[in-house]
Amino acid sequence: MLEIQELTKKYGKTLAVDHVSFVVPNGRVGILLGPNGAGKSTVIKSIAGLLRFQGGVGVEGMPARTLEAKRMFAYVPEIPAMFDALTVREHLEYIRRAYDSPITDGEIERLLDRFEMGDKQDKLGSELSKGMMQKVSICCALAIQPRAILLDEPMVGLDPAAIKELKAAVLELRAQGATILLSTHMLEMVKDLWDILFIMRQGRIVGTFTREEAKDEDIENLFFRITEGGAS
Amino acid sequence: MRACIYLYQRIAANRVKKALRRPVTYVVGLVVLLYAAAACVSFSLILEEGGLASPETLTTCLSLLIFGMIPGNLLGYARRRGLVFSPGDVHFVFPAPIHPKLVLMLAGVRSFALNILLGTAVTAAGIWLFHAGTVRMLLFFLFFVALESVLEAGIILFCYGNERLPERFFKGLTALTYVFFAVVIGIAVFLLLSRRMSFGLLQEFFSMDAVLMVPIVGWNVAAVRLIFLGPDPVAVAGTVLYLASTAAVFLAALRMRCTGEYYEDAMGFAEELRIRKEKMEKGDGSYLFGKKWKKMKAASVEYKGSYAKAIYYRQLLEYRKCPTFIFGWNTLLNLGVGILVAAVGHFHGLGEEFGAMKVFLIPAVAAYVAFLFSGYATRWSKELENPYTYLIPDTPLRKLWHATKIEHIRAAVDGILLTAPGALVLGIGPATAVLTVFWHVCLRANHLYYNMLADALVGRVLGNTGRSIVKLLFQGAAIALSAFPAVLGGVFLGAEAGLFLMAASMGLLTLAGAALASVSFSRMEALC
Repeated sequence: MLEIQELTKKYGKTLAVDHVSFVVPNGRVGILLGPNGAGKSTVIKSIAGLLRFQGGVGVEGMPARTLEAKRMFAYVPEIPAMFDALTVREHLEYIRRAYDSPITDGEIERLLDRFEMGDKQDKLGSELSKGMMQKVSICCALAIQPRAILLDEPMVGLDPAAIKELKAAVLELRAQGATILLSTHMLEMVKDLWDILFIMRQGRIVGTFTREEAKDEDIENLFFRITEGGAS
Repeated sequence: MRACIYLYQRIAANRVKKALRRPVTYVVGLVVLLYAAAACVSFSLILEEGGLASPETLTTCLSLLIFGMIPGNLLGYARRRGLVFSPGDVHFVFPAPIHPKLVLMLAGVRSFALNILLGTAVTAAGIWLFHAGTVRMLLFFLFFVALESVLEAGIILFCYGNERLPERFFKGLTALTYVFFAVVIGIAVFLLLSRRMSFGLLQEFFSMDAVLMVPIVGWNVAAVRLIFLGPDPVAVAGTVLYLASTAAVFLAALRMRCTGEYYEDAMGFAEELRIRKEKMEKGDGSYLFGKKWKKMKAASVEYKGSYAKAIYYRQLLEYRKCPTFIFGWNTLLNLGVGILVAAVGHFHGLGEEFGAMKVFLIPAVAAYVAFLFSGYATRWSKELENPYTYLIPDTPLRKLWHATKIEHIRAAVDGILLTAPGALVLGIGPATAVLTVFWHVCLRANHLYYNMLADALVGRVLGNTGRSIVKLLFQGAAIALSAFPAVLGGVFLGAEAGLFLMAASMGLLTLAGAALASVSFSRMEALC
């Protein structure tokens, strides 16, 4: 479970995130939806422990900054950044050791094959395209076999096959009881994934819907009804 | 810990493997070795001839190093900009279940490795150049590598990992360090003005009790004096204080609570470094001065022409928006070199010593500076990465001219700054000074054209270092070729005629370079 309480983040005098609170239960996919500059990435980065913030963030009941909590969650940043002098396989080996993941060599091979990176295992980080980096970043996150996963605009730069695999992987994680929080502004990409929708605008959550509450209403309608209707 | 050791071990191994595969590594290695050997021999001769090959001299040199190094490190760490993290660290290390203090220590390993390298070099120099004795030098090595690293680790943990002390404290610490530097520089200037600066004066300064009692820095110098010059009450007291303060800083830092709040600063600095590296590679000097100068001014420009001329006006607009306008690190470098030439010329009477041949002094210095900086990119080079440059319906030569015109203006300004101080002091006439500025402009133009030519010829085949060496060779060849007419003219027609022939031949070589380099403007794939 991912629990965010009164999360507030300021960059100097600019208020980027304003008292945001939400909960994503186990086995659910939470989607942070909002226009550019709404504060989605700031929320994700704060949960991942990369930013100072006010408020509380808990993973499975533990503060997110503790090592115990960090062992349980994976993070896929918006812009992947590889180590230039590390091969694809070495990135995964590092992740396996850092998280003490039980993933086997065979499972790593299958994971890389799934994202069409099997034949690029010996390529250095500096030799990868942006899309390939994103795929490695996703493979690393999945190699942790996480209880919670934070995905910040994960579909940007991915080819259609990789997007399909990523969606399948997210649904598999959900079936295994993991908590998923995904930020995006690409409505079409997440319409068959979401369980809970958090619509953000100007650093605040302006609407929260579960799939049950939304009934048959389209995600696009929901989004524009809230953002253009000015609801709070 | 296991994961981090694996990570950095693999990165180091892959880098070494990659470097060993490149022939250019061996060339550069050989050049560095030869340069180091030559420097050692000449340094040894200077020390022997000046009667300076003694442990006392070594103590003074080390004291100077300590006075620069410790406060310099503190300044970087207190501003949380001393440790370099890569974007890869931000992605894969910061969110991982690795203790933030361990992350700091692993980032500090580069500094500690530098301590080992520096310690080894000083130990070797101490034994062979300063005759300080093997046992004493080994003792110093242990002291320097172990204690300096412990102190540095303590400072890193304290400055980065501290989550209790307010930001005000670290701002105060930074200000205090600046005050320290200001006081030291003030004392140096006072001594320079009141008494003639000499090595003996420096020795005297670093043996003053008040200096040895400056917290941490002075105590460190006291410990060095204890090792090399033997015990005296101040050296012993300073050493004890140094050991105690190092232990106290390290233990306090170890006990401190740290959850990784510094990640935000480290992430910001990693991003800033990445942008700065990219900008510097493209020759954008405004980033040299740091974060504050990143903001652009509001500016406008009137386009007086179309087609290729638009490139010039767009560049002019960019420069107008830049707070430093067309001036950058090159301007400062040329002004500094110009003042240095003037100072050396004045104090050593170079005008009289060289006689008529003095007209070649500034061009020679300009050539040396141009040769050293031949491999560096300039701001305009991004034009070749811009697809619109190729879509403009104009001839390649006109595009080249308008894309580099502003660089020639910058070169002329820099040339004036480089030439004027020396010309005034050495008594060089206006016509000769103009020729010198023209020579400088040609050298800088060669820098642009030959870089382009080298890029088009070798592309990425030799890697960045290899490409820089080819650029250096081109520039070197042009200087050597223009030296022939200079020598002939100088011998048979007089020094000023020689300078004229040198500048004229360089002008022709520049024109040839421009004609050849304009090919790069014909199609984008020429660079791929």
